[in-house]
Amino acid sequence: MAVQAKDDDVDDEERTAPGLQPGRSVGFRASLAGVGLWDLVQMECLAGSHTCVRVSGEGGVGYLYFSRGSIVHAVTVDKVGESAALAILSWTNGSFQPCDRPWPEAATIATSHEALILQAAKRRDESSNLVAFPGRGAGEPTAASDVEMLEIEEEGAADMRTPDEREVTPAPPAARTDAGGDFSVMLRLSPRGEILKNIGASEQLAETAAYVRRLTELAGELLGIGGFAAFECTFAEGRLITFIESNGDAVVLRPRPEANLQALRERLGL
Amino acid sequence: MTGATALAGAVRDSLATLKDVGGVVGSFVCTPNGRLVSREIPAMFDDGTLAEAGSRFVRLREAFAAGGDEVEVAVARFEEHRIYMKVVGDSLLIILIQGAVNMPALRMAANLVGRRIGPAVAQAESEPPPVDAPTESAPPVRPRRFAEAPPGMRRFRGRPVD
Repeated sequence: MAVQAKDDDVDDEERTAPGLQPGRSVGFRASLAGVGLWDLVQMECLAGSHTCVRVSGEGGVGYLYFSRGSIVHAVTVDKVGESAALAILSWTNGSFQPCDRPWPEAATIATSHEALILQAAKRRDESSNLVAFPGRGAGEPTAASDVEMLEIEEEGAADMRTPDEREVTPAPPAARTDAGGDFSVMLRLSPRGEILKNIGASEQLAETAAYVRRLTELAGELLGIGGFAAFECTFAEGRLITFIESNGDAVVLRPRPEANLQALRERLGL
Repeated sequence: MTGATALAGAVRDSLATLKDVGGVVGSFVCTPNGRLVSREIPAMFDDGTLAEAGSRFVRLREAFAAGGDEVEVAVARFEEHRIYMKVVGDSLLIILIQGAVNMPALRMAANLVGRRIGPAVAQAESEPPPVDAPTESAPPVRPRRFAEAPPGMRRFRGRPVD
């Protein structure tokens, strides 16, 4: 994603003119190339700006309205509100510039900017079969574990990072009730079966997953077919996917019935 | 030819059809008590090894069932191989795959084979284990030096390892 952030209302002469221009606020102006739109949106939200930004991209022109750390309104030629924000966030190239526009009478977006970005990422992935995560640029992940965790993070579980990237604290079983996204359950188990992260899984599922991993490894050893890498089980009701990461952790996912797992299956070789 | 041997032969004929799907190395059927009903897989895998591997998958199924999840199909991926497992009656049809495979074709083939061998498998499940009755096509059974592994002991191809 490459977005040019600039203030087109100001010409080059104005940019270099000394002193404060009438009607201009104090502060830096920036011209940044190669910055992701999602990064810029996050910066505006982090700053708590009350501003309208004009975004022009491959889908046309749209406006995002920021207030108190959120996107409160968005508009494109044919959309208003959340659908417009999602459309704008799907653009991958263009420019991002502050502008003066009439402020809406009421906010049309209640969803957080993080949720909007996640939703935009999910839509992009579904349409392209590529995994992308806000703020990470457009490069393809290289390490297998990166691929796996990006897949999870995209579904809304940023806290499922590998241990060397986050503090490992055994979470209580079913610490959260729902993992969101395509998975109702996400569980991370150490090679010794310790629960490292748990979203929505029962303690029994963690025990079952640990035992199943061991049994599958043993079966593989018996048959002399190498290390166990991934597992998908289809039940009379529901499915379960487990895969082993490069650090030995097992990640267990219980997909929702409507989830499309084709990309994940291909990535895991299932 | 004993009844059990004839049964194994009939099942084996069906298992052989799975090899129409490219990538399938072979397959075997294992009852809930870990008994090998039939096999159509290269001789490098001896009966004991297959029965032991099969009994692991039987336990895997039981583990899920204990949590209320009734396994129908499972796929496990290893380095260069995959194992496709399908429940047939109370038994398991276990298919070993190497390299790429057309998974939809394999699913369909496994469904058809499962349907075809279902009655024979059900019959095998209801019969007591044959005494000294190796399956029809199995290579000569090697005497197994370590018939029972103590709990927790890891084994490889029938031998305990550290």
